[in-house]
Amino acid sequence: MAEMKEISPNAPAGAKLLNWVDNRFPLSTLYKEHLSEYYAPKNFNFWYFFGSLALLVLVIQIVTGIFLVMHYKPDAALAFGSVEYIMRDVPWGWLVRYMHSTGASAFFVVVYMHMFRGLIYGSYRKPRELVWIFGCAIFLCLMAEAFMGYLLPWGQMSYWGAQVIVNLFAAIPFVGPDLALLIRGDYVVGDATLNRFFSFHVIAVPLVLLGLVAAHIIALHEVGSNNPDGIDIKAPDAPKDAAGHPLDGIPFHPYYSVHDIMGVSVFLMVFTAIIFFAPEFGGYFLEYNNFIPADPLKTPAHIAPVWYFTPYYSMLRAITSEMMYVLIACVVGAAFFGVLKSKMAGFFKLVALGASAAVIAMMLAIDAKFWGVVVMGGAVVILFFLPWLDNCAVRSIRYRPDWHKYLYAIFVVNFVVLAYLGVQPPSPIGERVSQVGTLFYFGFFLLMPWWSRLGQTKPVPARVTFAAH
Amino acid sequence: MKKFILGLIAALSLAGAAHASGGDSIAWDKAPNKQNDMGSLQNGAKLFVNYCLNCHSAAYMRYNRLQDIGLTNEQIKENLLFTTDKVGETMKAAIDPKQAKEWFGGNPPDLTVIARSRAGQGTGADYLYTYLRTYYVDDTKATGWNNLAFPNVGMPHVLWELQGKRKPVYDTKEEHGHEVKVFKGWEQVTPGTMTPLQYDQAIGDLVNYLQWMGEPAQSTRVRVGVWVLIFLLGFTFIAWRLNASYWKDIK
Amino acid sequence: MSDTLADKNQVDSSKRTWLVTTGLAGAVGGASVAVPFISTFQPSEKAKAAGAAVEVDISAMKEGEKVTVEWRGKPVWIIKRTPEQLATLKKTESQLADPKSERKPDELTPAYARNEARSIKPEILVAVGICSHLGCSPSDKFQLGAQPSLPDDWQGGFLCPCHGSTFDMAGRVFKNKPAPDNLEVPPHMYLSDTKLLIGEDKKA
Repeated sequence: MAEMKEISPNAPAGAKLLNWVDNRFPLSTLYKEHLSEYYAPKNFNFWYFFGSLALLVLVIQIVTGIFLVMHYKPDAALAFGSVEYIMRDVPWGWLVRYMHSTGASAFFVVVYMHMFRGLIYGSYRKPRELVWIFGCAIFLCLMAEAFMGYLLPWGQMSYWGAQVIVNLFAAIPFVGPDLALLIRGDYVVGDATLNRFFSFHVIAVPLVLLGLVAAHIIALHEVGSNNPDGIDIKAPDAPKDAAGHPLDGIPFHPYYSVHDIMGVSVFLMVFTAIIFFAPEFGGYFLEYNNFIPADPLKTPAHIAPVWYFTPYYSMLRAITSEMMYVLIACVVGAAFFGVLKSKMAGFFKLVALGASAAVIAMMLAIDAKFWGVVVMGGAVVILFFLPWLDNCAVRSIRYRPDWHKYLYAIFVVNFVVLAYLGVQPPSPIGERVSQVGTLFYFGFFLLMPWWSRLGQTKPVPARVTFAAH
Repeated sequence: MKKFILGLIAALSLAGAAHASGGDSIAWDKAPNKQNDMGSLQNGAKLFVNYCLNCHSAAYMRYNRLQDIGLTNEQIKENLLFTTDKVGETMKAAIDPKQAKEWFGGNPPDLTVIARSRAGQGTGADYLYTYLRTYYVDDTKATGWNNLAFPNVGMPHVLWELQGKRKPVYDTKEEHGHEVKVFKGWEQVTPGTMTPLQYDQAIGDLVNYLQWMGEPAQSTRVRVGVWVLIFLLGFTFIAWRLNASYWKDIK
Repeated sequence: MSDTLADKNQVDSSKRTWLVTTGLAGAVGGASVAVPFISTFQPSEKAKAAGAAVEVDISAMKEGEKVTVEWRGKPVWIIKRTPEQLATLKKTESQLADPKSERKPDELTPAYARNEARSIKPEILVAVGICSHLGCSPSDKFQLGAQPSLPDDWQGGFLCPCHGSTFDMAGRVFKNKPAPDNLEVPPHMYLSDTKLLIGEDKKA
């Protein structure tokens, strides 16, 4: 038997209870490691609220979800009615429903802000690559979770959005149509699809999400948090106090617990303002068409995915047969660059040329529709590789050349423009702009190994930038 | 860089303009906002039950919920219950769906959340207000009616006795080298039992009711929301001071 | 420096003030959020509508006839008792566990039924046909005299097939039977001489 820690018999009951638990479960150890003695940089700014907010929204979605499932009916004939039942007949059901629908959009706002923080402060760089990878996996799961959740109200948008996206899988050569059939469980989106999406949305993906969030935080705590200056406060040569704690760090609890409570309060003001005064949010959070029960025989005039998917939807639509030639030119360009400029061994260069040739052959043979799916998926997958694309000498945007800042600003504007175009019906100008936008998005990442090395970086200070307040 | 951004903004505004010019139906009038007028809502409920429930259902709306607009259960039972005799039941249509499909080519849609589903250029109420006031006689249609807000609609003008029969009057204009008909006004072919003003008010009441029926909890929602926000404002202040009390120690 | 408290022995009064205030405000907020969520457990409008009062027309009932209607998922018996059946009520009194319906009056016997016949109109008995033991529905045993599972001096009433509990013509349970209580008399009222409303009474 392991050695138990003794405690004085005169100690208060609470202390004795804690001692009993600590002898069997690392409660106090975990508390110290992850809260009261987890030293986080003291210079966290506005961008550092969104991690805890994301956790809050996850909890909100789970709790409201539990209550919704008590009344929702996952049956194609009953689903739409059960949502109206929640809105009208269940006491305070309307509040639970609005919290969940607003929470879904809030989740993406918070997560996009959270990812942007990682982007500008280099939080994905060594030694935090795994934190970033777990985060990208969370993002992917979140998209799946939102997509499947959206089918559940069984409105026109729910139905046709699902129909379109599942049909995208049918564009995959050889396995596509069978794969789509397998996903749907039927020849068209129907009751079978609804039931399995319900299972995934309520149980499977939330469990995976919880596991990934735990992994994400554990990986972070293993190496410590980054900060807006990109300085490593726990480096061997970073200044520490007598107890060995980093001088630029402060215990997460109570300083950041208290800080995050403030952030939560402000967030809740915005969140509740939307829930109580504008739950539809102009048709972006609750789409108007979704108040019409799903009709497999009538497609609405204008289908668009929910706003948080629209940047990727724009990229999907941008890949027309015309655009394929531009992409082929890009592959040719990359092949030339790889052969002429890179320092790879001759053998690898030959392999690269062969692979490029094969890819170009496929691009000519297979429909643009398939490549649209590849591009859309690729836009998310490329995020996973970010830690290895960034070659800049400094982590944080604060000490990068000024023109890097403009580049990031354009990236944001580009992303927003793509999002806006995804909501609109297709148009010739929209198509051109989204094609340029798609090229910029991919160029930003794929060319990063090159452009991140350009320009004169600024000297990184030894201590974090902090003003007492 | 700046030129690129300006170019993007220009592209955005172009795309936006192309979209805003609307489709093949007319611009919507604004429905009068009478959400707090109980009398209007009650009149709208009466019109709804008398004119709409014959073919349309409101399957998620319970009769006894009408207590929220100031009616008692007795008033509801005496004046508004036609298709059922229980005040706790939902508003079902009088018509058989199979017959409806035969007669109209499609089952008349459920109207419970119609006001929420039709928003777009304006609110759903704006659309419905326009729609119910822009019917005109059209011999080329099976029902004898057509509509400016919903061209080729399969629904006849059920309120024609109140509004009378009308025809739209057009001006022809030259645009981009071809003739375009521009709507100018209405010609009253036969009068209805209501004057245009009375009819507009009645439709305002009906649409008001439909807007209310789409989300009966809306007034509660707003009322509770005010308190929640006041509380959160206070809580944010407290959280801010709590934060400051700890961070004053950090140099 | 990242020292937290300037002097570990002094309690920081500003921190304490705001901690307590935040704690109280948070508790108020938390309770306010919990209330709507717990309320969602209450019966919905749909359940309440389904459980609404039931109107029964008793004009066509013959003497000795029993009609069963459903109210809130339960069988409710309406029995037009004959004068003979009413007369048996005095005879059974000594054999009953609770002849005056004194047990759990608020649950089982509303004020207007706390009389010998346990009813508003003496001849019309309204009772929920569910045995107070474990919930089976007793069978009619209106015939007098000895029968299987019934005593020789059986005056007419009900026999529960599950565990043998017996009730008299006013739904009152006999002594030494598994069932502890008399049959429940549900809230009810007469809208007119011929219209009986089950599920609501004048107090509601």
